[in-house]
Amino acid sequence: MSAVFKFESWQESEPVAPTAVAVDKSLIQLERVFKTYDSGENAVQALRGVDLKIGAGEFCAIIGPSGSGKSTLMHILGCLDSPTEGRYWLDGEDVAAMTGKQLARIRNKKLGFVFQTFNLLPRATIWKNVELPLLYAGVDGDERRERAYKALERVGLADRAKHRPNQLSGGQRQRVAVARALVNAPSLILADEPTGNLDQKTGGDIIRLFEEVAAGGQTIVLVTHDPAIAARTHRRIRIVDGLVADGDELE
Amino acid sequence: MLIFESIVDGIRDIKDHFGRTLLQLFGVILGTGSIIATFSLSVAGKEASMKFYRVSGGIERIWIGNKPTGKVTLDAKALASDGLTYKDALALRAEGKEIDLVSPVAQDSMSVRYGAIEKKRDVMGVTPAYSPISFFHVERGRFITDYDLQSAARVVVLGTARAEEFFGSDNPIGKTMIINGAGYLVVGVMEEKYFSFDQRRNVLRWMNRQMYMPITTMTTRQGQPLQNGKLSFMHARMKDVKRHKEAVAEIERILQRQHGVKDFQVFSRVANLAKNESENKMYDVTFMICGIISLLVGGIVIMNIQLASFNERVREIGTRKAVGATPAQIFFQMLTESVLVSVLGGLLGIFAGKFFTQGISMLTRNPAIITPGVIVNALIFAAGTGLFFGMYPAIRASRLNPIEALRTE
Repeated sequence: MSAVFKFESWQESEPVAPTAVAVDKSLIQLERVFKTYDSGENAVQALRGVDLKIGAGEFCAIIGPSGSGKSTLMHILGCLDSPTEGRYWLDGEDVAAMTGKQLARIRNKKLGFVFQTFNLLPRATIWKNVELPLLYAGVDGDERRERAYKALERVGLADRAKHRPNQLSGGQRQRVAVARALVNAPSLILADEPTGNLDQKTGGDIIRLFEEVAAGGQTIVLVTHDPAIAARTHRRIRIVDGLVADGDELE
Repeated sequence: MLIFESIVDGIRDIKDHFGRTLLQLFGVILGTGSIIATFSLSVAGKEASMKFYRVSGGIERIWIGNKPTGKVTLDAKALASDGLTYKDALALRAEGKEIDLVSPVAQDSMSVRYGAIEKKRDVMGVTPAYSPISFFHVERGRFITDYDLQSAARVVVLGTARAEEFFGSDNPIGKTMIINGAGYLVVGVMEEKYFSFDQRRNVLRWMNRQMYMPITTMTTRQGQPLQNGKLSFMHARMKDVKRHKEAVAEIERILQRQHGVKDFQVFSRVANLAKNESENKMYDVTFMICGIISLLVGGIVIMNIQLASFNERVREIGTRKAVGATPAQIFFQMLTESVLVSVLGGLLGIFAGKFFTQGISMLTRNPAIITPGVIVNALIFAAGTGLFFGMYPAIRASRLNPIEALRTE
């Protein structure tokens, strides 16, 4: 750096206020997040300025009618999509402006996903499926197998490690998905309608599994339209018309 | 790590969709096979012609002949000319700086008799230089010597076919043959020459059917002064193969001065070789293009099937992306699959190539050599095909939007 440059930057920077808002200890902090889908003439505003904080260790549900924007919110929380406008801090990192590759790394290190349709690789063994996030994280083969096995033990499916997904019941498959979400020790687990494809009883089992995981201090955000399931979480975040509705109590 | 997993995944994919993979492999197998066959036949062909040149006088030999008469372009002076004579050979030997050996040859058909057998046979009048310049040596006895030449001795050296024809299994050396009514002492028998491109026909059989006497003997017996003795042709050996053009030019210059007209022709084997090579190159290129087209078709099939498999696996790719695969990692994985298939095709193509090569070699009776270099080249071509044609599907996969991918049913 030249002296001239220093002088100029001193002049410029003297009165400037810190750009970053002081980040509090929330794991997730959304600030005036907008998401607009620009489909030709009629742009659709799916999110219209969402402010949201979720603390580490919280077990909460995002609820709301279909078309309310909860899926969009879920995608943004999951770093699968970027907000059109606004800020998003995840675990102290500003992810709103990240590139596709950076988002992939964040998903890999800090997030775990559980989908309604399980989304297991059909031709790989359960074990390989659970290993998948570690594979992309560049974790060594032996460690990968060991950690995947431990995650499977945690969901009670270690004895099925060498089976393929189609040899398992729906409930078991979702447990595998939970194991896959746990394997990289993520900051946040996102579950999108995790019981949507399951019957009442197995759905209940999965929620119980989430409760156990949450009891261990894991942050979980669960998207659901089922009030009974939402009731079992510690906090409800209601999305209406692309905004967080006031009050998080059940109606 | 990822590469290992990608290869394992790829192999599983090949196993799971064997029929589909077979389609992908087909073009690559054929392409690799024909490239290997082309190279093998071409390499072996070159080797064979080089070997032919080696056993029959080397590429440093220059042929000097009379220009065929009866051509309209020859003017009266040329028609009046005697053509090549012994004088020319002496001039070349005295003045030629680019050549170190000159071998004048006169040919005549003579009546040859030994015992009860009498036949009209071609006889060559030569100098001692004939043997080294043709890489053709005596096996028993001796060849024509300088002393034979100077004294115009009545000696004869036989090719193996002639020795057998007149003497059977007896030793001809020391025997006397009657040639055009005069007695000639047999002083040597040549080695047997053999060379075959097709393991069947001996292309050097004509050499075994020769018999040689000193050129001086032949011309003086014909009643001509030696200097004016007509030559059928001459061989000259250039000192440096790299200077073959200069050697030919020098010979032409000396002969032009001797004759005043260009009633002769000069061919160097190096120039011939270059001509053959350019002809061979055309065949090589044709076959090569066939191979490349096969690989191209194979590549397009690979691309198509990778695209189809990509459409089938949109959800899987979406899942991989959701759990944190970067675009580069997805790209790499998809590309690994294509390359794997093409390399597998290349490996199988080696067998196809071996089969093609042996088939063509057997049909055309041409030799074929499959060298490791040829195989490596073909494999590189095959892998390159997979790399190139796998690029587009891999790029598409890497750019897939995970949200849309996961929504796909």
